[in-house]
Amino acid sequence: MVYSLFNVMDFKLFQKPQRYIGNEWNVVKKDHSNKVTICLGYPDLYEVGMSNLGLRIIYGALNQFNDVVCERVFMPAPDLARFLRKRNKKLFSLETKTPLDQFAVLGFNFNYVLNFINFLHILNLGGLPVKASQRRDIIVLGGGIDNPQPLAEFVDVFFLGEFEGTVPNFVNVLRKYKDKESRLKALSQIEGVYVPKFYTSVFENNSYKLIKDYKYAKLPIKRVYVRDLNTSFYPVKWLTPHTQIIHDRIPVEIARGCPNQCTFCQARAFYWPYRQRSISTIEETVKESYRHSGYENFSFLSLSASDYSSIEDLIDRTSAFFQERKIGLSLPSLRADDILGRLYTKLAKIKKTSLTIAVEAANESLRRDLNKKIDINKLFEAVKVVRTLRLKHIKTYFMFGFPQETGDDLAAIGVLLRKLHSQSGLSLNASINTFIPKPFSLWEGEPMQTEAVLLQKKNVILRNVRFNRNLRIFLSNPKKSILEAVICRADRKFWSVIYRAFTKDTEFSTYDDASFLKLWYNAIEEEAIDYRFYLEAKTDNFPWSFIETGQKL
Amino acid sequence: MNIAKYPVKITLYKKGEMIYFSQLDIMHVLERALRRTPLALFYTQGFNPHVKISFSKALKLGVEGKIEVTLYFTSKVSLDELTGNLTPQLPAGLDIV
Ligand code: SF4
Repeated sequence: MVYSLFNVMDFKLFQKPQRYIGNEWNVVKKDHSNKVTICLGYPDLYEVGMSNLGLRIIYGALNQFNDVVCERVFMPAPDLARFLRKRNKKLFSLETKTPLDQFAVLGFNFNYVLNFINFLHILNLGGLPVKASQRRDIIVLGGGIDNPQPLAEFVDVFFLGEFEGTVPNFVNVLRKYKDKESRLKALSQIEGVYVPKFYTSVFENNSYKLIKDYKYAKLPIKRVYVRDLNTSFYPVKWLTPHTQIIHDRIPVEIARGCPNQCTFCQARAFYWPYRQRSISTIEETVKESYRHSGYENFSFLSLSASDYSSIEDLIDRTSAFFQERKIGLSLPSLRADDILGRLYTKLAKIKKTSLTIAVEAANESLRRDLNKKIDINKLFEAVKVVRTLRLKHIKTYFMFGFPQETGDDLAAIGVLLRKLHSQSGLSLNASINTFIPKPFSLWEGEPMQTEAVLLQKKNVILRNVRFNRNLRIFLSNPKKSILEAVICRADRKFWSVIYRAFTKDTEFSTYDDASFLKLWYNAIEEEAIDYRFYLEAKTDNFPWSFIETGQKL
Repeated sequence: MNIAKYPVKITLYKKGEMIYFSQLDIMHVLERALRRTPLALFYTQGFNPHVKISFSKALKLGVEGKIEVTLYFTSKVSLDELTGNLTPQLPAGLDIV
């Protein structure tokens, strides 16, 4: 039955056919009859989507149930997408090549707003109406999305927060009720679930308000989270691709959340509260997932590995396992003082440790405003020491576009990069990103700067950077950052812009294409939306304020 | 320190879904398959050690065909022992012949 959709064609016609085969090690293929059928989607290419841990957790968790089939679909590359459209064929799941409109539920997990168009492309290519009200299948969006309102017209159900714990409830609803309306009603009563059609959104007296249209639906809606990471599901039967993906390693979560309070940071609120996994659970996860996959690279995942209370013990307890099998381990979020101090000798033993330093602001005074705690002297000492760790380069992160930042703050970035380079002797990659007042960050109420100001600031940064071949700089494009800010801060009204941008994107462009931003800005203009409104933050609350994260400060 | 190296030569046949995977892909498939077995693997030396596998000649993408590879171990491994351990770890479309 494989490729029944494609009897007229051959995957050889397309670039990287590996993306569409669906024969990974540990892939789950089940018969569909008498089962609840779910397809998980990710609106980016295979190699990006397969690097998403959330998708893998949900895939594994749903397939645990014998009466549930869970398959996957990713955004096809433009060549396959155009082919499908031209031949009038429907986009299909990887596992059984089933057209998407044959599934009862499609679940998505993504957080990048510029992927919204691809999300609609997947529905459309799969033969589904993009608007929720015109569809009989249920589209669920879970995980990463911060502000659900701009997508409220398209999505039937939002899961706010961490979905692992809600999986059994969700499956029970699908077993018990068969028609869409009763399923939605039942789902809307579960904690953390937002079903937009049961609420009306109003904006009056300068604030946003949600009114319930179905009395049993929840309001306010609380984000849900997993209480104990030691007992929550982890996909140890690791879906192992036969081709390279973007993050080609197994990320083993050591903690979720972050105890720090950087003001610009969304992740800390998103993954609140801070929870750790025990060393023995981590050890067990490493061993089991290795046994099932044979993966040669692992990483210890957390927002801030240095805050893990027994990071030294963790490395001691696991390094022999990695060393004996020549498994690479990366610890992506260590603080510089740890690298210098307590962890140095331990890190030297591990194959390939990568070093990433999130400096965010080059001057101490601005860092203090941002609540970003770094001891810059220790950082420089650490950088000298890393010469001896077998590293290829150092990655650094900075931000600009803060309302209070001065010309000196901007110029200092170049100075700091020069010093980092000369003291480490290593090549440097620097990402300099625009500050976006993201929903749920402590500074969600700060205004986003205008394009003119951001461009001026960008020039000050560039004037002070001394370029050479050992320094690679990525500086974000203000136009793109502003668009991202608009989309993540918008209200329900904004759906028409997203829809228009989607219909304009007939060639399946990617966000690196020059035409991509233009298409969005044209859509905004044609819909006559004053986008500065979303950026100025002059309203008393925000479109997403009906969601409670539960964090206390 | 010199670690003993025992080569074993095998022939694989690539067909079906596996024809879409490149030589580099197949190398990873074999490395991971070997890592899932209890066999004593020989790793390359240097900064970035990996399981040592050598291909006799390049195989074209998108076609069926034989692949000759040499795998290396740190103790003596018979062909039967290798086949018995490796076969259950290989994806459909990649078989030892
Ligand atoms: S920026 Fe990093 S350290 Fe700061 S709160 Fe966010 S996750 Fe934590």
